[in-house]
Amino acid sequence: MKLTVDQRWDLIDKIAKQTVTFGEYKHTLKDAIGELTVKPLTGIPIAIAVMYAFWSVFGSFAGTLFTDGFMVKLFDGRFLPWIQDIFPGAGGWLYYIIVGNPLADNSFEAFGMLTSGLFVAIGIVLPAIFIFYLMLALLEDIGYMPRLAVLIDTVLHRIGLHGYAIVPTILSLGCNVPGVAATRILETRKQRFIMMTLLAIFIPCGAQIGIMEKVIPDTMGWVLLYLIGGYFLFGYILNKIIPGRSPEFLIDVPPYRKPMISNLRKKVWVRIAGFFKVALPFVLLGCGIVNVLYLTGFIDWIGNVLSPVFVSWFGVPEATVGPLIAAFLRKDLAVAQLSVIEMTPYQMITSVVLVSIYFPCVATFAMMIKEGAKELLGALAVLFAVVFLYGGLIHLIGILLGVA
Amino acid sequence: MNVLLMGHPNVGKSVFFNRLTGANVTESNYPGTTVDFTKGWMKIDGEDAELVDVPGTFSLDPKDKAEEVAVAMLHENKDAKVICVIDASKIERGVYLALEILEEGYPMVIALNMWDAAVDKNILVDVNNLQRILGVPVVPTVAISGEGIRELTSKLKEAKPVEINDIIKNAGCLT
Repeated sequence: MKLTVDQRWDLIDKIAKQTVTFGEYKHTLKDAIGELTVKPLTGIPIAIAVMYAFWSVFGSFAGTLFTDGFMVKLFDGRFLPWIQDIFPGAGGWLYYIIVGNPLADNSFEAFGMLTSGLFVAIGIVLPAIFIFYLMLALLEDIGYMPRLAVLIDTVLHRIGLHGYAIVPTILSLGCNVPGVAATRILETRKQRFIMMTLLAIFIPCGAQIGIMEKVIPDTMGWVLLYLIGGYFLFGYILNKIIPGRSPEFLIDVPPYRKPMISNLRKKVWVRIAGFFKVALPFVLLGCGIVNVLYLTGFIDWIGNVLSPVFVSWFGVPEATVGPLIAAFLRKDLAVAQLSVIEMTPYQMITSVVLVSIYFPCVATFAMMIKEGAKELLGALAVLFAVVFLYGGLIHLIGILLGVA
Repeated sequence: MNVLLMGHPNVGKSVFFNRLTGANVTESNYPGTTVDFTKGWMKIDGEDAELVDVPGTFSLDPKDKAEEVAVAMLHENKDAKVICVIDASKIERGVYLALEILEEGYPMVIALNMWDAAVDKNILVDVNNLQRILGVPVVPTVAISGEGIRELTSKLKEAKPVEINDIIKNAGCLT
């Protein structure tokens, strides 16, 4: 037998009256902290502090301690000379693909599969996403994320989303793949479409952020500013033009809890393992494929074809076309390649922003197909429009500021 | 045997799942984490049973994609038993979902999870009475520390479909 909604609640009322007794409720310290972090007046400064702490720990541990302090020394000092020495046929095509430039004195400029590819994956990206996921797991398990969602709700409504959208957004800062999966917690197709499109275009993943910190620390602030600006600007536009509903959001804010070490460990491990399975093959393969494309002259050819667009519309050097093609396989790799191209700081900002927004990496792409081919096509249409408009806009801003 | 683990988002289903199967699922302190459902195996009285960690859902009337998955999974497994995980300090909402599932004729065991948090808040649930009214086994649990998990699995074989009319009678309603 089926009950109506009202009958069901009636019945539950009767059951609850007979089974539940409420004692006197004492306001605990936990409740007080919970309220402080959710009320805008105190919550927003706390949220900024938390984000700043997150960022500082990320930068100092991942960048300074692991990458510069350990990995760079290991790869440049030991591994690179060793593999350059031991791999046969210096100057040949196989050497070029696997090891790269035989005269390179650091792992960045070699650009072989086993030199730059391995260094980027293990030396830079791995520490970055490890620290990122560890801290995210901590924030999740303590119960801070729903509070952040409540705080940011109003702002996200402007772009057709609501507070929960912070979950896919932050997950994407680690890797866009789980971010795309997490868009399922949004209710309507409109919201999922907007979220997925914005993620794919404007949210740089941990790999990209890690590598930006390493190779363009001075200009990275500008890159992030342009990406955040684009996220809200195009979110606002999409919200206006996409039909559909953006419902209000009701959230059950859980109490703060003590995180369980075993759960943290498991969570970080699962995510790191995911990185090794999904991202590592793409980094190495991407490196190899790009080298092959260079060897066959394809990149020079497409560079020539596209150079009018790149040089006159986006205002970046022709040489950036190659990295942009590599970006489809791995964006972190593309940023590394850009960093060794001769250009002005503003061109660097423009080209790194372009790498970020121009196309989702293969792994994200595959995930988006899984979520809905129709949505993907729509997202791609938006993407091309955004790249063209936003790339031009950034160039224009540069011209107006007199730096481009 | 097929066992579905169901309940609201963020009541500790995935911790249950880990406890019962020892598999790699992670639980976050926010809803919506388990979007791809997870399967695992557990032993009940020496017999293998398949346990499915269903995404959290508030009702059988889905409002987002994760909930649609949950409802579809319930309907695909007509002969499954259900472990319904309920937040012990907010049983009204959990019982709503439990009733919906019972109305569709699924045998069920109820876990009153986060029992410790309810005690902290001075909320006390009369387990025996609740069990009498609903006619299904009810077990207080603390999934994180493992309290009550063994009792819950041992009660699983007692789970049987109940008549909603009986529940109404037991609750003392006239309608």
